[in-house]
Amino acid sequence: MKKLFHEFLKGIIKENPTFVLALGLCPTLAVSISLMNGLGMGVAATFVLICSNIIIAMIKNTIPEKIRIPCYIVVIATFVTITELIMKAYSPALNRALGIYVPLIVVNCIVLGRAEAYASKNSVMNSLFDGIGMGVGFTLALLLISGIREFLGAGKLFGYTLIKGFEPAFVLAMPPGALLVIGLLLGFFNILKERK
Amino acid sequence: MKEMLQYGLTLMIICAMATGLLAGVNSFTKSEIIARAQAEQDASLKEVMPEATNFAAVETNGEVIYYKAYKNDALLGAAFKTTAKGYSSEIETMVGMTKDGQIAAIKVLSQNETPGLGSRVAEPSFTGQFANKSLEGLNEISAITGATISSTAVMNSVKTKAEEIFNLIKNGK
Amino acid sequence: MENKLTVSVSPHLHKNESVSKIMWLVGLSLLPSGIAGVLIFGTSALRVILLGIVSALFTEGILQILTKRKITIFDGSAFLTGLLLAYNLPAHVPFWIPIVGSGFAIAIGKQVFGGLGQNIFNPALVGRAFLMASWPRYIATFTTPLSYDAMTSATQDAVTSATPLALLKEGKILEHVSYLDLFLGRRGGCIGEVCIIALLIGAAFLLLRGYISWHIPGTYVLTVAVFTYIFAGENGLFTGDGIFHILSGGLILGAFFMATDYVSSPLTQKGQILFGIGCGLLTAIIRIWGGYPEGVSYAILMMNAATPIIDRFTKRRIYGK
Repeated sequence: MKKLFHEFLKGIIKENPTFVLALGLCPTLAVSISLMNGLGMGVAATFVLICSNIIIAMIKNTIPEKIRIPCYIVVIATFVTITELIMKAYSPALNRALGIYVPLIVVNCIVLGRAEAYASKNSVMNSLFDGIGMGVGFTLALLLISGIREFLGAGKLFGYTLIKGFEPAFVLAMPPGALLVIGLLLGFFNILKERK
Repeated sequence: MKEMLQYGLTLMIICAMATGLLAGVNSFTKSEIIARAQAEQDASLKEVMPEATNFAAVETNGEVIYYKAYKNDALLGAAFKTTAKGYSSEIETMVGMTKDGQIAAIKVLSQNETPGLGSRVAEPSFTGQFANKSLEGLNEISAITGATISSTAVMNSVKTKAEEIFNLIKNGK
Repeated sequence: MENKLTVSVSPHLHKNESVSKIMWLVGLSLLPSGIAGVLIFGTSALRVILLGIVSALFTEGILQILTKRKITIFDGSAFLTGLLLAYNLPAHVPFWIPIVGSGFAIAIGKQVFGGLGQNIFNPALVGRAFLMASWPRYIATFTTPLSYDAMTSATQDAVTSATPLALLKEGKILEHVSYLDLFLGRRGGCIGEVCIIALLIGAAFLLLRGYISWHIPGTYVLTVAVFTYIFAGENGLFTGDGIFHILSGGLILGAFFMATDYVSSPLTQKGQILFGIGCGLLTAIIRIWGGYPEGVSYAILMMNAATPIIDRFTKRRIYGK
């Protein structure tokens, strides 16, 4: 049990997909405009990650080495499509806000990266906890980035205005703001790593 | 050769299972998705023509041109969608118009303009200006400071489409 | 220009004071333009300048304490960044604009890269670009010079007006602005860019003392003049008003004081000429066909980004290689 907990924990800090592995930065840059978008994207990616990790760990011995990548992609794409259908049915507003980035979870390198580097070599249980840990790590990173951007770029958190009279810096809600915030946070996490 | 067959079969089995799963989820969510889209459509129609009680789609070749708005079987006017090329995105607007050619209200359905500048076309301070304007009066609407391109895009698209639809109604189509 | 090359035997010691001295002298050379700005726009201009400088020094000090480095807030470079940023702002911006702008310029434009000498971009222009993208409505709202008030009415309130370039962009004809007005700074604009004669006094001082060379500003101004003469005219090619384009906007301030920044401009003369031409072309293209009326700051920033590659291709060959 302790080992499983360790698998879960490593995705959050030590091997955080965004700040340490620097994987899946494209959706991170694009959707981190508001906390709601960040949360939606994080949950969707986590769902796909957990499901694909489990399935791939289950079928890892039956698929031949040479065609493993197409197999992984089919599995991942299936879960992404399921996510998109469910989102369209029960949360159309979020689906519209995330737009093309929901189907693009297929090519999010966190998902394929974990399938290839972890789930194809480890047991189902371990893969499940790896998926949860990575997903939560990704979600937390998205929440941190989108929280900073929504607060400074629009003066709001989860759509609610916090301080009256605060004049938000539009640039943070625009693409350069995403690069700026992620760059500074990456630098900050590198400092933390060096201190250890 | 044998290897090829084995690979092909494995992939086929995985794809077949994936297809089956997707078909299941699709049949489960399909009605919900359609119902949601319909509800959203109705809500935005209601918003631009608040007094109307029911709407009837006017179609040409299976494409919805505009909606006729009725209040207890009396024709009130029309509601229609229009799109404009803004500064950085397509701005889609729903417009309500009375039968004598006055704009009742407009609502920006989707846009992706510069946050804080162009995105303000969706705010009531801008869209509210359209209420109760005749087609000629649309020129009096003042553009948002710093977002002239987005504002004029909305204004022009509303005006052109409104004139088009107004002529259709006048000719009884 | 006199030869500044010093030949001596080793050991060659790096004299740190010289950088500091140049910084302060550049600051001094900007003084006339600042005085002119205050005279033209009133004491609110002075407030913007002081807030910009204080914020720059403060940010530099705080960051150097936090990162446990040597505190160098009196080497003149942070002072110069704050001063240049303030010169690039309208006089009637809210008090926090120069504070945030200077803080961003020093923190993101300079210290993030490792401090003086490491920055890719001119820090003051980074600050300005940030303000422009974040609060465009303050940065693009200019006030009428005080002298206009005296001429037209007795109102003491700040009246907003557009810059000559902005008026041109909107297709309005500039009848009431003469070359002399532009030369003396009787127009709307940023604090430090309006008074051309004051800027030229400072620039002449720097050129004569050899702190800057003619290569960047000369080619920059000439390129803008030629390009706008050819393409900016309303009646076809070769009818543009090149002199108007030199005298309006921030061209003189940018060409002599910001494009020549030692850290972010090329090292060799050939590279500097290329840099100047590039800045000139970009400025003219933005002014004539771009979305903004003025393009000096973006042109210099873009050429800053190209500086490493220019340096690479214009590096002098080492003899025998």
